[in-house]
Amino acid sequence: MALSQDDVAQIADYARIALTPSELEQMTTYMNEAVDLLEPITHYDLDGVEPTFHPIGDLSNVMGEDVVDDSVRALPIDVALHNAGSTHDRYFRVPSILGDSEEDF
Amino acid sequence: MASLDSLSAAQIAAGVAQGDFTATEVAQAALDAIDSREKDVQAFLQVSADLALEAAKRTDARRAAGEKLGPLAGVPVAFKDNMHLVGTRTTCASKMLANYDSVFTATCVQRLLDAGATPVGKTNMDEFAFGSTTESSAFHRTNNPWDTGRVPGGSSGGSAAAVAAGEATLALGSDTGGSIRQPASFCGVVGMKPTYGAVSRYGVVAFGSSLDQVGPFGRRVEDVALAMNALTAEGADPLDSTSQNCAVDFLEHLDDPVEGLTVGVVPQLMEAKGLSQEVRDALTAAVASLASQGARVVEVELPNIASAIAAYYVIAPCEAFSNLARFDGVRYGYQEPDCQTLAEQTSLSRAHGFGEEAKRRQMLGAYLLSSGVYEKYYYPAQQVRTLITQDYARAYQKCDVILLPSAPTTAWRFGDVSDPTQMYASDMFTISNNICGNGGISVPLGLATQSHMPVSAQLQGPAFSDRRLLRFARAIERGVDQGLGLGGGAPVAPDFAGRGGDL
Repeated sequence: MALSQDDVAQIADYARIALTPSELEQMTTYMNEAVDLLEPITHYDLDGVEPTFHPIGDLSNVMGEDVVDDSVRALPIDVALHNAGSTHDRYFRVPSILGDSEEDF
Repeated sequence: MASLDSLSAAQIAAGVAQGDFTATEVAQAALDAIDSREKDVQAFLQVSADLALEAAKRTDARRAAGEKLGPLAGVPVAFKDNMHLVGTRTTCASKMLANYDSVFTATCVQRLLDAGATPVGKTNMDEFAFGSTTESSAFHRTNNPWDTGRVPGGSSGGSAAAVAAGEATLALGSDTGGSIRQPASFCGVVGMKPTYGAVSRYGVVAFGSSLDQVGPFGRRVEDVALAMNALTAEGADPLDSTSQNCAVDFLEHLDDPVEGLTVGVVPQLMEAKGLSQEVRDALTAAVASLASQGARVVEVELPNIASAIAAYYVIAPCEAFSNLARFDGVRYGYQEPDCQTLAEQTSLSRAHGFGEEAKRRQMLGAYLLSSGVYEKYYYPAQQVRTLITQDYARAYQKCDVILLPSAPTTAWRFGDVSDPTQMYASDMFTISNNICGNGGISVPLGLATQSHMPVSAQLQGPAFSDRRLLRFARAIERGVDQGLGLGGGAPVAPDFAGRGGDL
């Protein structure tokens, strides 16, 4: 069943991508064409076939010693903050997550 | 007087080590070539002249101090702009990361620098590697050096074009569904996607985590083998848990004959709809060349490969949606100003930071991972992945490598393919290898008879048999040198050769 503009609007909301009305229309066309391309997947009888989530088999996680080693990976605070759009002292700065006034609580 | 256009990576490194020229002279020659050629090819998003000259100076100082130089001493290399290199931006050709300064250096980049390479810049790409022509770059297009009215392929189009135009001797790209092999084919250079896990991806911006692999471009198979040595010699990278220890000397058996080895051909693929006659003819000549060098040719079947595009366009968008969720405009990336709530800031930052194709792929992934749809497409796609992997395993019981096209056609003109789903189909010969994690390499065969554009053969092999792939690739190159195609490895595109680059 084809995806409607309403369906695509819901997906966009979930994906946190604000689409304009004309983008939504184009995206709906695209989504339906793309899903058609995936059709061969639905034609298989896959009973008893194990999925392959990772392409190279027989691998296991690489475990490290549980020791803090700041020298390798830890970013100094100024470096970590360097690319952020807004910062405040030692922090990333974000708008309110609960709304901009007390009535929103 | 020598020209960088005609020197291999090994010759440059040897020349620097012997004192025939300095690394600084090589760096200057490469920067001069970029200066005179770049306006016509536009392969770079950033030229790192300062970093190049500093690295070259360090190489020269090491030589002066009597220290042993690395195997890539003084070799000009370019990096796809999804790889972190401190001192450069890493933009992924996206407005989202237009001002993002690299905060650390990717392992693959560092290993080439540790081998003595000179970093000349960061190359253009499809935004976040979503595409097959480099046209989805948010900044500018890249032209194919063999015909600037044609696309260079993608997504690593800038890396392929930089090498084909003689702006760099080596370049790194990343390949999620063909993004090294297809642009290598379009631009007439050697491009290798090693086995999944062979090269560390630490510091490379993730697209499809079960598919992505970093690999080198060069104008000769030997240069690609040399780069593979530098990328893998130190073994598995503790900073990438998917990275494997596969350190072998990729140069060791490079020139061994292929006599007695077996090359598989898949009749179903050679008859595939969309495969142009000139590509089919070139492939037939490549098979004949291998046969004349003593390789056995057998037919093999890959019955489920017809579903590879469908499986890929389920798996890759889902992984992309998951990976690109990190771009919320808070810690880095474009941040929409004046938003009242975090949700609004996130939605608008992503809407205005990402380009069209990046939004499409994430939307598709978001849909496919939603309840009910996951069961219909995502889980079955991973089962079909098993079937495709089993097909290859059966085929490799009968042959050492499989020879097939890198792309169904040679490079097309800008504007000829614009429909996104039609574009997806152009990955039909490369994508299945990412699904299985196996290695593959694209090797130039010269110019095709009709379009007069570069045409290539692709070799695929079982996981962790990348050294044998290089040996077969070298055999094809020998065939080309003996008259199959242009000769002399893959030359710099004629419109660019000789413009700067003199030593």
